[in-house]
Amino acid sequence: MLRGVRGEPDEVTGRIPPAWHEATLEKLAVNAVMAGCLPEYFPVIVAAVEAMLDPAFNLYGVQATTHPVAPLLIVNGPIVQAIGMNAGAGVFGPGWRPNATIGRAIRLILMNLGGAWPGAGDMATQGQPSKYTYCIAENEAESPWAPLHVEHGLDPAQSAVTVFGGENPHNVNDHVSRTAAGILTVVADTMATLGSNVKWYFSQSQVLAALGPEHAATIARSGLAKADVKAFLWERARLPFGRLKLGGMWGIHDWPDWMNATADDDALLPIVPAPEEILVIVAGGPGKHSAVIPNCTFSRAVTRPITRLPA
Amino acid sequence: MGTIKVLSPAGVGKVGETTLPPLPADLRGKTIGLLDNTKANADLLLGRLGELLRERHGVRSLVYCRKANASTPAPPDLLADLARSADVVITGSAD
Repeated sequence: MLRGVRGEPDEVTGRIPPAWHEATLEKLAVNAVMAGCLPEYFPVIVAAVEAMLDPAFNLYGVQATTHPVAPLLIVNGPIVQAIGMNAGAGVFGPGWRPNATIGRAIRLILMNLGGAWPGAGDMATQGQPSKYTYCIAENEAESPWAPLHVEHGLDPAQSAVTVFGGENPHNVNDHVSRTAAGILTVVADTMATLGSNVKWYFSQSQVLAALGPEHAATIARSGLAKADVKAFLWERARLPFGRLKLGGMWGIHDWPDWMNATADDDALLPIVPAPEEILVIVAGGPGKHSAVIPNCTFSRAVTRPITRLPA
Repeated sequence: MGTIKVLSPAGVGKVGETTLPPLPADLRGKTIGLLDNTKANADLLLGRLGELLRERHGVRSLVYCRKANASTPAPPDLLADLARSADVVITGSAD
């Protein structure tokens, strides 16, 4: 496993909260072996650990919270094909060794090095199935737009991994819309719910739209660029002020002054601070489904190039 | 027969020693920091605690601070301010 990356076994990538044990390359490799990874998967795991240890990701909060959050890994670039990752049909599901075992290795690392044991360290009230494994590749071949890592300034030929502290996927079924406005209205409706954390801790609210390729194609045929998709969703994924007062985290929310000054119960308030806080990728295979993934709202998505490929 | 080396997936904790400053035996004349973690009713709980400490234990003054939200750590400058201005800090409130 260690031959899968450049670096020495005792090299420390950081400490994993909340136990703060050292994540040496050797410790990461032992967990990757236990998860069933092949050595060529290992650079993805090391880059994902480095991304999770970026302070912007707030791994301490992600690990320890009562919210069900799990780090979703989104892999981009040539490594997807090189190691045989699934970006198509059933992308969030079973059946593909790299998707399944990279995600599993991350969870073992979070438990064995981070001490995130359910009820002790990981204080999730219920958790979620994606705490077993949560690793996908973007379906770049069927995306009408630039892939996620290119949007973040990387070269298309540079493989990368993005970590996103998310809930499980929320389904977006739209079998009938033939326009971008139709599909995105349903996506926006799925985004704007009282129960998710998104919108309460506003400053770090982010939401991911993982569009199925057929939905993405329909949206692109309507002439929308990815920035247009984000702008549409930002304007439409809103909740009335009066409805926000019904429960959720009303009263302990963390909003900017302009939102706190709202008086009109019918005023529609956004769920994230700006269109750029809506991430858009294409993932999955044939069919009329997409997914919405709200983040935990105390963690920001982090993208890292996968650089430790062996010579 | 060869030797098998068994590797553990578990981490090793960093072992070190640290000392906590002694808690004052008497709160009379002291300044108490109240760090609100924004959990529901934390402000009410801490506010009432502060009142009681003044009334019953002779606390001289209170310093009230609030985190941005419950799931992000208190920023280092806020903690440094508290360390400078308060003799004792009370924080931590659950849902």
